Amino acid sequence: MTTHTITPAAQAAPCSGTRWQGNGVSDIRRRMVDRVATALCWAATVLVLLMLFSILFVLVRNGVGGLRWVTFVHVTLPPGQAGGLANAIVGSLIQTGLAVLIGAPVGLLVGIYLAEFTATDGKLINFVRFVSDLLLSAPSILVGLFIYMIVVVPSGHFSGLAGALALSMLVVPVVVRTTEDMLRLVPLAMREAAIALGAPRWRMILFVCLRAAREGVATGILLALARVSGETAPLLFTSLGNMNWSIAPGKPMASLPVTIYQYAGAAYADWTALAWTGALLITAGILMINITVRLGLGRNRK
Amino acid sequence: MTVAQHDAMPAAISVRNLDFYYGAHHALKDISIDFPQGQVTGMIGPSGCGKSTLLRVLNRMYDLYPGQRATGEVIFDGCNIIGPKVNLNVLRSRVGMVFQKPTPFPMSIYDNIAFGVRLHERLDRAAMEARVEDVLRRVALWPEVRDRLRDSAAALSGGQQQRLCIARTIATRPEVVLLDEPTSALDPVSTARIEELLDELKADFTIAIVTHNLQQAARCADQVAFFYMGEVVEVDSADRMFTTPREKRTQDYITGRFG
Repeated sequence: MTTHTITPAAQAAPCSGTRWQGNGVSDIRRRMVDRVATALCWAATVLVLLMLFSILFVLVRNGVGGLRWVTFVHVTLPPGQAGGLANAIVGSLIQTGLAVLIGAPVGLLVGIYLAEFTATDGKLINFVRFVSDLLLSAPSILVGLFIYMIVVVPSGHFSGLAGALALSMLVVPVVVRTTEDMLRLVPLAMREAAIALGAPRWRMILFVCLRAAREGVATGILLALARVSGETAPLLFTSLGNMNWSIAPGKPMASLPVTIYQYAGAAYADWTALAWTGALLITAGILMINITVRLGLGRNRK
Repeated sequence: MTVAQHDAMPAAISVRNLDFYYGAHHALKDISIDFPQGQVTGMIGPSGCGKSTLLRVLNRMYDLYPGQRATGEVIFDGCNIIGPKVNLNVLRSRVGMVFQKPTPFPMSIYDNIAFGVRLHERLDRAAMEARVEDVLRRVALWPEVRDRLRDSAAALSGGQQQRLCIARTIATRPEVVLLDEPTSALDPVSTARIEELLDELKADFTIAIVTHNLQQAARCADQVAFFYMGEVVEVDSADRMFTTPREKRTQDYITGRFG
């Protein structure tokens, strides 16, 4: 067996010849620009983190005192009496839950349409996508007014269902966008493989494409849930708010954001304190949803 | 060009005067070729010459894309399959296809195979399990996956995934299996296993394989067709094609002078 003979490298010298010096002037300039740009990036990052953590800090400082048993089991009461947020918490859960139940299937179907029928309905699809994107950026108070006009006025009264409908209109475009984007990531080869087995198109979409995109689609639905759980404006003209315990979707219903809106501006210290606690609860909820999404995606990438 | 008459096997698929268009682009020009039953037909030629296009005509894959159309005759089981009244889902269960990149579905190994079978047959649990085991044995994947049929197919290696895709294709009991460069994404060991597999499968299936690997065509194919610029230049037995090609263009290609 022959072996590789390794000769010693040429004697190592310090890298100082003329060819090692480069162009001195532009080199200094380049380093300056690099330092400044890096410093700016750092400064911006620190600023954003500072804002976020100061918000969280103030929320926790002012809200943590209200995290008592009574807050979760008692309904809102007039100032001076030890009231809670039970009706607002449950009202928010019902309305956001209903909003996702109504909005997510619609968004899912539209997203499937946009992603899967491009070949045949190109022009219509571009139009639908444009409208959906408009809805995504529409001021949410307009959505509230719209539901007020078409649901609250004809029925003659505010209701939790109207609130859920308003929120669902904000759920739809988020789910449409994520569903379409996730389905477009499914490789063409996988679609063709399903078709080549003799699968009709609907089975290919439902059992192969949606399945391949399921984590992303679920993420979109969760993000939509997070988005609407803090919305106040669409609820002002629709579910109105309710000081009493009510879980009937046909009646005015309390919600955390609207209660915060009413309590935060009040002159009573106990109401202001409850508003802080409500804000802390919403923030914690949204944070939890986002962390769930992150963990889900992280696991997915492995 | 004349259709080669070099053996007595009846044709499983006969293509006659086939033209194919991608919109305005004339991709296949007056093609005629037979795919003899129970044999492997290798299709060779430079990229863009129409090999894969012909494959995608044989199971009507092109139907997915508006603007693609075929004229002429493709006779399979006495019927012109590019005609208007063909049940495409049935056709595709009888003419299966394996793609260049392994395309396992995002489900378990078992469900990958059951997915295709369920489209066309109602089997009880025991029969389905028997079918899954049978096709996995045929592609020599059974010993490797028997204990993890419920695991995701994505965890398999590339070569295993491709064998799974072949198993999935033959599980619907097609008469013809089309393979579009099935080993070009695989390492040499996996490639060799797939080539061995083809040799066993041709006892039960008529096989058409597109390949850029001339040695592969020489090793696996009974009959070889050389495509160039949308035409079938020459069809002959593999032996003759690689030793004494009749056409100058074929000779230039197989000796590496162009393409």
